[in-house]
Amino acid sequence: MKKLDLRLLRMIKSSKGQFISVVVIITVALSIFISFSTTAVNMRNAIDYYYEETKLSHIHVQLMRIPQSVLKQVESIEGVTDVQGRISFDVPLKTDDDEEKVRIRIISLPKGGGKVNRLYSPDTIDEISQSDAILIRQFAEARNLKPGDIIVPYINGREHSLKVIGIASSSEFVYLMENEQTMMPAPEKFGVVYVTEEFAQSVYGYKGNYNELLIRVEDESMIEDVADELDKKIDKYGIKRIIKREDQLSHKILTQELKGLDMMAAAIPVLFLIVAGIIISIVLSRMVSNDRMAIGVLKAIGYRNREVLFHYLKYAFIIGVTGSVLGIILGLILAGEMSEIYAIFFEIPLLNIDIHYIYIIYSLILTCLFCAASGLMGARQVLKIMPAESMRPELPKSGKHIFIEKIGFLWRRLSFSWKMVIRNILRSKRRFAFLVIGLSMAFAINTVPTYMWDSSTGMFYIQFGQFQKMDYIIGLARPMNEDVIYDLKGLIKDGKLEPRIEYPFEISNGWKKLNASIIGIPRDSQFYEFRNVYDEKVALPDKGIFITEYMAKILNVKKGDRVKVKNFIPGKDDMYFEVKEIIRQYLGANAYMDIEHMRETLTEKNMINGFSIASKEDLKTKLEDVRNISSVSSIDDMTKTFEKYIDVMLLSINIMMLFGGVLGFALIYNSTIISIGERRMELAALRVMGFDKKEIFWMLAKENLVITSIAIFLGIPMGIGMINSMADAFNTELYSLPMIITPKTFIIAGLSTIMFAAIAQLAALKRIRNINFIDALKSRIS
Amino acid sequence: MDRTPQIKVENLSKFYQMGEVQVKALDDVSFEIYEGEFVAILGPSGSGKSTLLNIMGGMDLPTAGRVIVADEEITKYNDAKLTAYRREKVGFVFQFYNLMANLTARENVELAVEICKDTMDIDEVLEQVGLSERKDHFPSQLSGGEQQRVAIARAVAKNPLLILCDEPTGALDYSTGILILSLLRNINKNLNKTVVVITHNMAVGDMADRVIKMRSGKITEIKENPDPIPPERIEW
Repeated sequence: MKKLDLRLLRMIKSSKGQFISVVVIITVALSIFISFSTTAVNMRNAIDYYYEETKLSHIHVQLMRIPQSVLKQVESIEGVTDVQGRISFDVPLKTDDDEEKVRIRIISLPKGGGKVNRLYSPDTIDEISQSDAILIRQFAEARNLKPGDIIVPYINGREHSLKVIGIASSSEFVYLMENEQTMMPAPEKFGVVYVTEEFAQSVYGYKGNYNELLIRVEDESMIEDVADELDKKIDKYGIKRIIKREDQLSHKILTQELKGLDMMAAAIPVLFLIVAGIIISIVLSRMVSNDRMAIGVLKAIGYRNREVLFHYLKYAFIIGVTGSVLGIILGLILAGEMSEIYAIFFEIPLLNIDIHYIYIIYSLILTCLFCAASGLMGARQVLKIMPAESMRPELPKSGKHIFIEKIGFLWRRLSFSWKMVIRNILRSKRRFAFLVIGLSMAFAINTVPTYMWDSSTGMFYIQFGQFQKMDYIIGLARPMNEDVIYDLKGLIKDGKLEPRIEYPFEISNGWKKLNASIIGIPRDSQFYEFRNVYDEKVALPDKGIFITEYMAKILNVKKGDRVKVKNFIPGKDDMYFEVKEIIRQYLGANAYMDIEHMRETLTEKNMINGFSIASKEDLKTKLEDVRNISSVSSIDDMTKTFEKYIDVMLLSINIMMLFGGVLGFALIYNSTIISIGERRMELAALRVMGFDKKEIFWMLAKENLVITSIAIFLGIPMGIGMINSMADAFNTELYSLPMIITPKTFIIAGLSTIMFAAIAQLAALKRIRNINFIDALKSRIS
Repeated sequence: MDRTPQIKVENLSKFYQMGEVQVKALDDVSFEIYEGEFVAILGPSGSGKSTLLNIMGGMDLPTAGRVIVADEEITKYNDAKLTAYRREKVGFVFQFYNLMANLTARENVELAVEICKDTMDIDEVLEQVGLSERKDHFPSQLSGGEQQRVAIARAVAKNPLLILCDEPTGALDYSTGILILSLLRNINKNLNKTVVVITHNMAVGDMADRVIKMRSGKITEIKENPDPIPPERIEW
């Protein structure tokens, strides 16, 4: 081995702590990069393949009733390659426990499995007959149902026994959720059951008819045109919703999850590499000034400038390479683990865990660039060292007055030790700046988890504690006259009831459009509270429409603009409405109107299709089996599911805090060790003068405290920026994170930053103990 | 003896600007050194001897004048050529030894030898300086004299044209200093290397073939010493 390299290795060995701390940061950065990117790519590949294998529909149409014979007509639309009709309806399932409410969606399957939305199963499943059922895997596993078991759904008030003959996965339900309002899957509470067409049509009373169409097109770019054409051609069959692939619930959630992965794969590693770069540059610049004389000797005995420079750059590269190799290995291991976790949340049976070498190459290039840049920044001083001069002892750094001293009244008030602290901090302005930037970033990272916690819990509790105060939302199986409210009142002993109408529409502004429900409620509703973007209470007007912030953003409309509402209800025309207010809503994206106005313009007079109820009774059991009631959503149940989900979130929040902490630790640890090394003589002199180790420790602690405090102060806007981009990335139709930033957000982040800084300072304590002040004063070379 | 000069220093000057004053570190200095000579450059501190050594060693450039070493005008060299000159032609010995703290004695010598083409056997050189037994020790485990011997081995093993020593005994006690001087004298005699020693210690002049005395950047006297005394007999 070259003797210079040997020198370098021994240098690393004698400052292991510093070396390891930077390697850890790079390892974490790259393992996140590799594992997140690999998982995202694997998922995308798997899902594309899975969709194609099982022929997932491009367009899913829900309608009132369409005769089988009309399918030929749909098939003739240009671009359509396959059309398949089916029956789909939700019913309760009989279970052993009467308290437990389980709902299933019964979906008809054509003979031979059909051409669209085919089921996937590794086992061969026999041809399904009248009294047979195939269960979706998530549900079967959650409820421990096996082929041969009998399930008993209530359909139109009657029990039907179905024999489970197989278990399969569906690309339509990669993420199994009942509807948009459910926040997360509960596979033991909701499942999908596939039955024969004959069975479904006969029990549902739909002989020769369907209520859903699955359509595949030649090319995904044709989806829009085909959907428009469908709207014209089959409007008379009562289109409820035309769901394009991008709006398909399971697909949408999956896409969103992958988008989040992509974002994290890009942002976190870069942030970490910047901090690693800062530390490398500080460590190297210190090393070079420490080695001034050695560098002079190397040059005197004939080493070229670039050889000496490269000697120090190698330090950065060794850190980079060690960190990359560890990070890549760890990343690949984690990629496997992560893919498996995702495979639990998303049912993707064809998920392969492949290694994508391109990401390994990206990691290496990225790390090398960062290390080279920070190495050069730290070590370029090598070039300026002249061999002849370096042999002479370095002149003492010219003491300068710092700007704070000019503020006389302030400076005079400071005690001597504080004056020293401030002078020391400002003695190397560049290093000070770097440290502050790095710590600000660590602090900003720490603000995110607190915010995520506050906003996710806030999202839920504001939505259901403040904006919507009902306990149950009841859905009717079909629109009914509002007099039905009196029947219902008879069933509920004490409680308040309000009628509601909810219908899906396509809302558009120019070419910008989205599918969303409009909810009609009484203007004097006791359950709903609306707040505009300035958090002012607003009342529902008699005409016009309220839309949520998210919708306003997608449609690009302001208060006072008009939006077009495309009506799927047969015989009803499209209408224009003025946006009276843009309101806050965290869960779901929908519009609100006065129920009277809605019935006049969009639906039918006196008809409603649901209720909001406030009652302490257990209505779920009571109302579920009532004829004409198709769904009973309990806010309390949702809260329980949500609270379960929060536990999972808490774990990832803690991990994120740890990440920010690691960065803060590494920064403070390295800078303290450097500071001690650099000032050995000075600290030794203080020891000789009678300062004890504790006092020196506190002096350094004060310096770190000052730097950390400044960093926290500057980190506040950085944290707000990070939170904003985070919230932006996570906002979707399904939910948007409220901007809940309180002093608590910053206090927690600050405390965690200070805590890690304190741990780092304690870790550096050993070095203070080890200063032998007699030696330090004797030797000229520190 | 061949009397063509190995080193020719002609009208060499080096001025520094220190604030408003111009400091003449070297002021029109000329002399010659012959191959295989042991030369002592004597003078008090601030006399310009270190500046002179730095320029001769290719570590610094003069304001005026030239230095010719083995027919090559090194004062015309650019940075790269100067580095190559230091690498192949010159061995340095410094007052404070300046060894790499985390390399052993032998590794310190190897560090210098690695980058040269025509070098001497490292173990033989270490044997000559009397460090065969201690070659695997780190500088901190060696005495000052031993460290200086490593430094000499490092300079010699490169097989340079000339060895330049800057106060080689400055940090050592009397008897160790004598030992180092006799080691340098032996290397000069046995290997026929030109050795230039700068020192403020006038006594060193007695053991040199040629003595150049300096004061305030000028040469006050050049004296050839036809009959130098062995270093063991000089005293200060």
